[in-house]
Amino acid sequence: MPPKPGEVTSALARVPLFDGISEESMERLVAVTGELEFEADQFIVIQGQVGTGLYVILDGAARVVRGSDELARLGPNDFFGELSVIDQQPRNASVQAIEPTRCLALASWDLLDLLESDPKLALNLIRGLAARVRGQGELHRH
Amino acid sequence: MPERTDRPFPPGDYPVVVVGSGPGGLQTSYYLDRLGIDHAVISADPSPGGMFRHFPFFQRLLSWTKPYGPVPRDDRFYEWYDWNSLLAEEPENKAIMPELMDGSSSFPSRPEMERNLATYVERTGLRVRYGCTWEGTRRDGDRFVLQTSDGEYHCQVAIFAVGVAQPFKPDTPGFEHVAHYVDTRTPDTYAGKRLFIAGKENSAFELATGLLQWAQRIVLCSPRPAKLSVNTHSLLGVRARYIQPVEDRILGGGVFMLDASINRIDRLGSGFRILCSRSEGGAELAVDADEVIAATGFVCPLRDLADIGVSMFGRSQLPSMTNYWESATVPGVYFAGTIGQGVSGMKKYGLPANSGAVHGARYNARTMVYHVARKHFNVDLPMPAVEPARLVDMLLEEATRAPELWNQKSYLARSFLLDPSTGILDEGIVPLADFVDTEGLAAVAIAVETDDTGDIHPAVYVREQGRPAVETLLSSQSLHDFRTAEHRAQLSSLLSGVTAGAAK
Amino acid sequence: MALSPQELVDTLAGLSLFADLSRPQLEQVAHKMTEESYPVGQRILRQGFTGTGFYVILDGEVVVKIDGDERARLQKGDFFGEMSILLGEPPVADVVTTRQLHVLHLGGPELEGFLRDHPPVMYRMLKTVALRLRNASRLRS
Repeated sequence: MPPKPGEVTSALARVPLFDGISEESMERLVAVTGELEFEADQFIVIQGQVGTGLYVILDGAARVVRGSDELARLGPNDFFGELSVIDQQPRNASVQAIEPTRCLALASWDLLDLLESDPKLALNLIRGLAARVRGQGELHRH
Repeated sequence: MPERTDRPFPPGDYPVVVVGSGPGGLQTSYYLDRLGIDHAVISADPSPGGMFRHFPFFQRLLSWTKPYGPVPRDDRFYEWYDWNSLLAEEPENKAIMPELMDGSSSFPSRPEMERNLATYVERTGLRVRYGCTWEGTRRDGDRFVLQTSDGEYHCQVAIFAVGVAQPFKPDTPGFEHVAHYVDTRTPDTYAGKRLFIAGKENSAFELATGLLQWAQRIVLCSPRPAKLSVNTHSLLGVRARYIQPVEDRILGGGVFMLDASINRIDRLGSGFRILCSRSEGGAELAVDADEVIAATGFVCPLRDLADIGVSMFGRSQLPSMTNYWESATVPGVYFAGTIGQGVSGMKKYGLPANSGAVHGARYNARTMVYHVARKHFNVDLPMPAVEPARLVDMLLEEATRAPELWNQKSYLARSFLLDPSTGILDEGIVPLADFVDTEGLAAVAIAVETDDTGDIHPAVYVREQGRPAVETLLSSQSLHDFRTAEHRAQLSSLLSGVTAGAAK
Repeated sequence: MALSPQELVDTLAGLSLFADLSRPQLEQVAHKMTEESYPVGQRILRQGFTGTGFYVILDGEVVVKIDGDERARLQKGDFFGEMSILLGEPPVADVVTTRQLHVLHLGGPELEGFLRDHPPVMYRMLKTVALRLRNASRLRS
């Protein structure tokens, strides 16, 4: 099922990383964001793998697992890989769909391509992250 | 009047040896004399003036002296309008430069500047052993031995004011065939020639401006675009005086500016072919020229100081120094004059102080000499006591009228110690970077600063006992007079806690 | 001792911040930034002070301190100052030299333009700041 108009934008807008970016930059981001569907029990990402992207859950549910411990449950509008999409650090936990789940997916290489042509966006992202390191933003999961 | 033929300071043992007779060496010697510190001054040159004996080639100096300035010449603040005279305590030795200028320009010519320095030497009675070239250095226990063309000098402290005037050319193939800026001939010999200048800083533009009406074509080439001071709103970059070639290029009159790296220079008949790669995109191109001048800068001629452990950095090979211009790696070795630009200071907003020029270096030399006197010879300048009620006014007075603070913004400050046991003491002028980082006695210092908008305002640094200083900026004032009720109130409340302890 | 212009460019080529730049681009960087040397015990960044610059370490070491507590040590290839400049706020930490320090310095007002001119450098910086956030979060949780 293709994303409804505006659904991608509003989902991405919830990710603090993209707080305050311009409409133009958001449009460009939306253009490179794809959608993926996962069946129940399918792994969306696996612990230890190189992190290659950001995922925002549109429908369905997933659980965050480290080893055999379940750490959290995620539902619509939850996201993960926000920093992975930038630094490709290995995933520190697995995320497994509990039921059929639809996600937005932004690949790090697509974001990188975008940053090279959109320096304003890149500056915005750095500023946003820097502010959060300084403790002015919200703490983030994953 | 001492003759130039007398040769003082024969080789031997001295507490201090100063090498160099440019502005740095002369200013240093003057203050060593004032403090009664025995020292020798040696110079490879036959007469005083340093680099001003030769440079700049064409134009007048870039530093002003306003014979008819906003304040009278005997006013302390006149030093902010006279960037070329050396400092002196005696009225007849101050502000010599304007006496030699006719008022037709605020920028002295090179010969006028040279005469200024020679006159200073004559009037103050400074002695220099000319024609004595420093050739080598070694250590002998805790002393230094300077080998010279006249013999050996032994000293406890060595102060090198040798300038940054040794021509530098990159080792890119072909540069060995071409002239350096210092080898530039008289302008008429460039008539009708296609000229290629490697470089786009002041020296390159000075040549381009001077040769504009002679050369058939001028190409200026360096990897990055010219930085113009009118764009940086500071003294950084090519000065306004040298903008003519830029305008010529814009109008398409025969000046070209290439942003490219030079890969090699080949001889081509009686001229040259320069092979470059454009900075943008890397495309290669060849430029032919009749004359090539490498305006590629200078390095510091520190000879074998590296062999005794003096560490150096940067493309000018400046020595690494402490905030008092002492070698960071060899205590007892000091530097004066333009070399002092290697001490960065606070460099707020990336703006350097004027340590590379006479108007900054002269204060650095004085501060350095006072430090040498204290540290090595137990000669301590008195620190006058200050009435607590006067402190705020004195600080604001300094911010408004201290030429040290105006010439060396964010770099030199006026400091007052606030130790309860001694009361408030006037520490005098200090290097700001040293003041703010030293965890010492409680103190307050004031400096004059500017920011990236060009706003000029006082900055107050309060240091509590044993802690690094904290900064507070005061407001600017349209006529740069900070002795307002508002400033007094701001400063008083800032100091109320700190000075209470120091009030007798 | 002092690096020749070519040696400086060679040094920059080995720093991860500049790893994605071509040789001519590295030469541009070398020209835009200024080499500086600071003695031991000097603060380069000062908590609460205005006018911060951007620094890349060529040689030596600094310690990052907040209220006197050591938080990190930085060495060759590391950079600092960009957070304050990009956020427009004074530093929250002191950065103090533990050894003689050799750096490249870019004035604060020039940083944004510099990053725009060199997107690969901006991306590397973005990655580093993301990593700092990761580490900061880890400390707090």
